[in-house]
Amino acid sequence: MRTTNMLVAALGGEGGGVLTNWLIEVAQPAGSHCQSTSLAGVAQRTGASIYYLEFLPRDAGSRPPVMSLFPAQGDIDIAVTSEIAEAGRMLSRGFVSPDRTALISSDHRVYGITEKSATGDGTADADFIIELSARYAKRFIHFDLLELVQRHGTVISAGRLGAIAGAGVLPFAKSIFTDVIATGKGAAANCAAFEESFQRAASGGVAHFDPEVITPFVLPEATTALGGRLLPKVARLPAAVHEVVYLGVQRLLDYQDEAYADDFLSRLAAVVEMDGGDDDYALTRETARWLALWMAYEDIPRVAQLKCRPSREAEVRAEVGAAPEQAIQVSEYFHPRIEEVAALLPSGLGRRLLSPGIMRRLVEPFLGPRKLRTDKFWTLWTMRRLASLRYRRRKTLGYEQEWTMIERWLGSVQAAQSTGLAQAIADCGQMVKGYGATRHRTTSRLMQILDEVEQGRVRDASAVRGLQSAAMAGDDPEPFEQALVQGQ
Amino acid sequence: MAERSFSEEVKKLRCGDGSVFQGEGILAITKALLQSGVSYVGGYQGSPISHLMDVLSDAQDILGELGVHFEASGSEATAAAMLSASINYPLRGAVTWKSTVGTNVASDALSNLASAGVTGGAMVIVGEDYGEGSSIMQERSYAFAMKAQMWLLDPRPNLPSIVDMVEKGFQLSEASNTPIFYMMRIRGCHVTGEFVARDNVPPSYSNRTPVTPTREPEKIILPPFVYQHEQEKIARRLPAAVEFIKEQKLNELFPGQYESLGIITCGGSYNTVIRALQRQGLADVYGNADIPIYCLNVAYPLVPDELVDFCVGKEQVLVLEEGQPEYIEQGIQTVLRRRDVQTRVFGKDIMPMAGEYTGQVMLEGITRFVLASSREDVPLALDLSAVLSLQTPLEEADIAALMENLPPRPAGLCTGCPERPLFSAIKQVQEELGPFHISSDIGCHSFATAAPFNLGNTIMGYGLSLASSSGMRHALPHKAISIMGDGGFWHNGLTSGVTSAVFNGHDGLLIIIDNGYSAATGGQDIPSLVEPSLIASTIDAERPRREQWQTIEDACRGAGVTWLETVSTYNIEAMKATLRRALGSDLPGLKVIIAEGECMLNRQRRVKPMLKQAIASGQRVNKSRFYIDPATCTGDHGCIRLSGCPSLTVRDNPDPLRTDPVSYVDNSCVGCGVCGGNAHSAVLCPSFSQVDLVFNPSGLDRFMHRLRSGVRNWWRGRDLRRQQQLQL
Repeated sequence: MRTTNMLVAALGGEGGGVLTNWLIEVAQPAGSHCQSTSLAGVAQRTGASIYYLEFLPRDAGSRPPVMSLFPAQGDIDIAVTSEIAEAGRMLSRGFVSPDRTALISSDHRVYGITEKSATGDGTADADFIIELSARYAKRFIHFDLLELVQRHGTVISAGRLGAIAGAGVLPFAKSIFTDVIATGKGAAANCAAFEESFQRAASGGVAHFDPEVITPFVLPEATTALGGRLLPKVARLPAAVHEVVYLGVQRLLDYQDEAYADDFLSRLAAVVEMDGGDDDYALTRETARWLALWMAYEDIPRVAQLKCRPSREAEVRAEVGAAPEQAIQVSEYFHPRIEEVAALLPSGLGRRLLSPGIMRRLVEPFLGPRKLRTDKFWTLWTMRRLASLRYRRRKTLGYEQEWTMIERWLGSVQAAQSTGLAQAIADCGQMVKGYGATRHRTTSRLMQILDEVEQGRVRDASAVRGLQSAAMAGDDPEPFEQALVQGQ
Repeated sequence: MAERSFSEEVKKLRCGDGSVFQGEGILAITKALLQSGVSYVGGYQGSPISHLMDVLSDAQDILGELGVHFEASGSEATAAAMLSASINYPLRGAVTWKSTVGTNVASDALSNLASAGVTGGAMVIVGEDYGEGSSIMQERSYAFAMKAQMWLLDPRPNLPSIVDMVEKGFQLSEASNTPIFYMMRIRGCHVTGEFVARDNVPPSYSNRTPVTPTREPEKIILPPFVYQHEQEKIARRLPAAVEFIKEQKLNELFPGQYESLGIITCGGSYNTVIRALQRQGLADVYGNADIPIYCLNVAYPLVPDELVDFCVGKEQVLVLEEGQPEYIEQGIQTVLRRRDVQTRVFGKDIMPMAGEYTGQVMLEGITRFVLASSREDVPLALDLSAVLSLQTPLEEADIAALMENLPPRPAGLCTGCPERPLFSAIKQVQEELGPFHISSDIGCHSFATAAPFNLGNTIMGYGLSLASSSGMRHALPHKAISIMGDGGFWHNGLTSGVTSAVFNGHDGLLIIIDNGYSAATGGQDIPSLVEPSLIASTIDAERPRREQWQTIEDACRGAGVTWLETVSTYNIEAMKATLRRALGSDLPGLKVIIAEGECMLNRQRRVKPMLKQAIASGQRVNKSRFYIDPATCTGDHGCIRLSGCPSLTVRDNPDPLRTDPVSYVDNSCVGCGVCGGNAHSAVLCPSFSQVDLVFNPSGLDRFMHRLRSGVRNWWRGRDLRRQQQLQL
């Protein structure tokens, strides 16, 4: 006879303690000894923490069992984790054994600080961890518990208890579990979440398995005269790039006008000629993606336009969970700088504004941090006026500056000796992001990379990609500067 | 009021004779103290014994009924000094702290206590913070027990043993006139179980039955008595202790059929030993083992006769003692050599010298031990390679790929923490002025040494940041910067730091973070805890917490500080300006910034019920949270690098053209406003907004809402028609 051993991995504040207490309460009427331990300490401050429980049927007459306080590798029957990367952590620590362990996990993600703070996409590969868990656990039950409990308006512990009960890994009747959560605060929501989670786990956690159907994008037929003029030009490009280009055209129509979208298409036509078609025309596709985004750069009119977009109010209300008809107040944080104002003016005037003088002093009172209520009439009216400045965008200093950089980048792509290098340079378009100082940093690092390429110091694709990842490593200039030196 | 309330659990402390007590190890110890008739208890909080202080604090009614005096001591030294009550009088007392750090702080008083000796039982319950879950440097308390001649109990980690050893420990202390360390490991503190309770015993001396003051000059630690104490420790107290341990059978002997082998383990590791034996088929789940076990519930001193009796006739024994150096193993070797017992002693030669004895470590060690013997009739369920392969079933390529995809999860500042904006401000000022060398301290703020702030160079101890900058300040390109919490300030920082710095003309900057509580250890009250409306937070308060509060500001001024400013941490711009002023000041003398903001965990616990009640009672209430516009967020995550708030995270970009995730504020947001403040202060982006949900709107609210919605809807209609024209 041996104990049944259970590991509960929780993140700080997720109620691992609540779940543990429920399990202790379950063990009592189920006629089982139960011992639990935990590591509290500073782990409760957002870190990862482990609760460990052992169960053994009570045996009249004999002395109490000696149970371990340590989870041990190869000695775990049930591992419960609240998000999928933590399932991966249990795998890495040896707490999931192919011959023994049932692994129960929610497959949502709670991102760690290193994943969140990357300049681009630093997130871990959840699909890989799911695949690995399925391969190494004796049984792997996983579904999105967070979505489930949020639908029932309760916390993840209730869902986890349901999954544990439904998985049938503890030899206790379902009613014993439900008795424990049937009273107290939020009992109804807890019971509902428990029930659904129980059913999902009982059916192996895949009851609602929806295989992801990827339907290939089909370029729609033109429905308007505008479409009749633009879509045939999109259609002339390889089918593999249709989706991105179509989205790009839509974006630029919203951003400026038909001529702007047309310009986008003709520049792409030049790129597709040098594209050998590798990797489904990745060169053209990625150039189109970053070109469209860069052409729709976020200046004051664009930000104002986005803040007035028709779908926005509904998006905000849904996100904050406002009841129908409930009043909400939206205070936006703006911080216009002299550079952004200058970018709105005709080139000559804009440059004069940037140098010290009377003009600058006149504008300065309107700069700096502003907290504006965009649910109010006058603020919204001002936003709409600012948004309408976009019709004069082509004559502004900002337009001139952005297009100098865009053309340089695009020129570099087209001048590249190989498709590989061209693609690496095109992908550097990803670096163009942020506002203010961040934007200045990202674009000037991109220009530095182009310098390296143009002056022949960097000749191959992998070197360009190396520079790009160093440039995106963070705010600290050192990694990028080092990469530049090493490249030479 | 601490983060975790034990007000329900402490009712169990009233359990009487014969009733079954269920609960955590910490609660069991408290009950055992009451059953032992303690007269006074005290201590300083810190994991893993924070909850012991919380339980005692929540149990003051029960303590009061019995006449037990409780103090939340100012530091571990304060707590240790309390034990002097047991020197002259038969008063039983217990204090508690986190060890090794607390023992270090308390060491002066402890050494003197151990020298003088005690009449009443004196016990220090040390939370041995060693191994996984620990938050301090890794050392053992054992060395202190040896050098000061205090006895160290390390009971088996089950509730009956834990409770029994508290009561026996007091008797041992009195029988040998020696103070006792009672060691609890991290997991033992939190282990759950049950034991049969006994009635609480009121102390023989208390405010109801005072002692008659007597003087015993020979117990004062001055020469010539100290020489006598040193002799007495060895000549009288040690033999008395050994005799008591033998007579009362505090150490346990568990027989087994393979008598030529033996395992000597500390009580705290006993369960892990049994599990390892069970997995090898050498024990059952009830602890009946095939290899004899000698279990040291008293880890110091050793009992030579018992050791010799156990070892004689054995081919080999294994000594299981966590951590280094191998004091117990050395002690056993000495005993056996002196008695010329030739049993081979295995210990740190096959066990790891450093680190915890986890399940896997124990299983490997015991397997090696059995394999080393000449006996071939001891069956092992798993051979050594099978044991080693348990470490991980993963193939190497999978391990490598997995490691790439496992985000580290260091402990960090909570959602809405008032310390976050302070570090955002420091990080921004650092960008202006060049790299900082910062002397950090113990507390939540030490998390700033990790990502995303990466601020702080050294941590020397609780309240010691300012002191630790004093050897560095003449060699820094900027004014020395030290950061200290309010907990550290009252614990040690005022005297070791501020007073000494003023005396020595230190002209650096000290930032004292005043969040109102001892937050890192679980939100316990501290001297400067004020009524919440006086600390930087935004909701009106209930009644004042303390009638006479001690302010940090007055304490600093009393110590001679003249440059002192109090700034709300949530005001990032003001904080940056104050930091620049302090670092740029030509005035001589210490600059102190009190960075004030109420601990958000405590604040939420306080405010949430009030908010709910206000909404339910029909009051007009605005509830704030933050929102990031996914349409304007470009996914550079500069906001996260300045904040690291748990509620500020990322999600898939809803824009099909963009590939990088957008920043996102999830529903755990408490609306502290720091991300908006950073967007302003660091000129980040126009994506942040504060959204206020209006509950119980007034008539005017409703009118304005309808009017504004009407205008917005009209505009929306026009915009939608325009979008129609742009259809392809």
